[in-house]
Amino acid sequence: MTDRLLKSVYAHLHSTGEAIFFLGNICSLIARGRVRWGAVLDQMYEQGVQTTVIVILTSLATGAVLGLQGSITLQRFGAKEFIARLVALSLIRELSPVFTSLIFSGKAGAGMTAELGTMATHDQILATRAMGVDPLEYLVVPRFLACFLVLPVLVIISEFFGIAGGYLIAVTQAHTPGPFYIHETLEAVGYVDFFSGFIKVFFFAVIIAWICSYQGFFTRGGAVGVGRFTTKAVAYSYIAVIISNTVLTKIILTFWG
Amino acid sequence: MIKVEGLYKQLGGQQVLENISFNVARGEILAVLGLSGAGKTVLLKHLIGLIRPDRGEVIINGVDIGSLSEEKLLKVRHDMGYLFQEGALYDFMDIYDNVAFPLREHTRLSKVEVAARVREVLKLVDLQGVESKIPGELSGGMKKRVGLARAIVLGAKVLLCDEPTSGLDPIRSRDISDLICHVSRQIGSTTVMTSHDVGNALRIATRLLIINECRIAAEGTARQLKESKEPFVQEFLQAATS
Repeated sequence: MTDRLLKSVYAHLHSTGEAIFFLGNICSLIARGRVRWGAVLDQMYEQGVQTTVIVILTSLATGAVLGLQGSITLQRFGAKEFIARLVALSLIRELSPVFTSLIFSGKAGAGMTAELGTMATHDQILATRAMGVDPLEYLVVPRFLACFLVLPVLVIISEFFGIAGGYLIAVTQAHTPGPFYIHETLEAVGYVDFFSGFIKVFFFAVIIAWICSYQGFFTRGGAVGVGRFTTKAVAYSYIAVIISNTVLTKIILTFWG
Repeated sequence: MIKVEGLYKQLGGQQVLENISFNVARGEILAVLGLSGAGKTVLLKHLIGLIRPDRGEVIINGVDIGSLSEEKLLKVRHDMGYLFQEGALYDFMDIYDNVAFPLREHTRLSKVEVAARVREVLKLVDLQGVESKIPGELSGGMKKRVGLARAIVLGAKVLLCDEPTSGLDPIRSRDISDLICHVSRQIGSTTVMTSHDVGNALRIATRLLIINECRIAAEGTARQLKESKEPFVQEFLQAATS
């Protein structure tokens, strides 16, 4: 029993150390300029295409629901005119960064793990090394950087469409005048609101890219392994995004509230 | 050309290789035989630095590759070719790009020169007209040929082949074995291949090495092995050729 526990602790410590070393190697390659920008652009296209439509639909729906719920609740307090502020601030400070990151990890992150995992189980990663090419540089760094660059763009798209969803509801259901809604939105959102949400996205991007590429790179166990490691990558990145969001929000509010 | 000295390796707490020592001279074809799980592939991966020894030396062209950093190892591998069991071709590239990959990575050849070299090696492995196909469209034997073409496209001084005939019918096994022999001679490479295919290994290898219980059980030419009095060697060869 103790033996098994010790083995399990050792295995977890080992994989944590391995994951940190893995991230260190990626950062070192990027710092030394070992980046294949053509491959980064290809990956940005891949990851962007995979996720944009889902992000737009989800954001529209989220903005619309916020608008619906907000208009009913605010009406009770006679504060219906604050609906634009509620929708914009909720989306920009919290919902868009977190929802988009979760969607991204479930779609592009899972895709990244599955791709790398399939390559790992078919010896393609080993073959890359055998051909004298660093697989981290060739396969992982482009995916990692693409994730870092695409996610912030997706968050801005999400914020735009979320606000648009709220606008549609506010104008059609709550009969708020359109120009007033836009004016209120622009009035409500300050630089601090935007950046307090936006800064977090870069952390989430690193977390998702790190977890998903690490799980993919070290996948073993054939087709079953690819499924298992992909599920694990998505679950871990969801948990990591949610927990780190709480911590980052607390830090940001402390210094920038 | 290749010198392995006192090689020890443990994997997952289990001894896989124990005191393995042998030499391969320039231009030789060495076949490594043994039971399944005997450590043949592990040994082959040591020769290209994909696995590091626990103890002992792996010297390629006078360089102990076991002590090199990964960055230096990547450079050493430019002169080596490795044929994986299943080919390990990139499935997101067509055959042309797969074979051209090492050329694009390690040479400054123009597009025209790359195309000419790719055509040349595909012709050498007797596989023309498949350039635009993707690996999924090829049979197992064809994938191995493409893998071989990719392994030799830079003119590998050392060619390592992991079970090149596994999963193939006897005729294709013979063909791919002959092809490895032919290609090795053509490009003048030193070749080490692991195999279960004793008949073809005895036929094409200049020397053979049999691994049993983590150690070298026998080493020599086909004739020397056939005349060996070692019980395991006799049983192994008899079982394989019966």
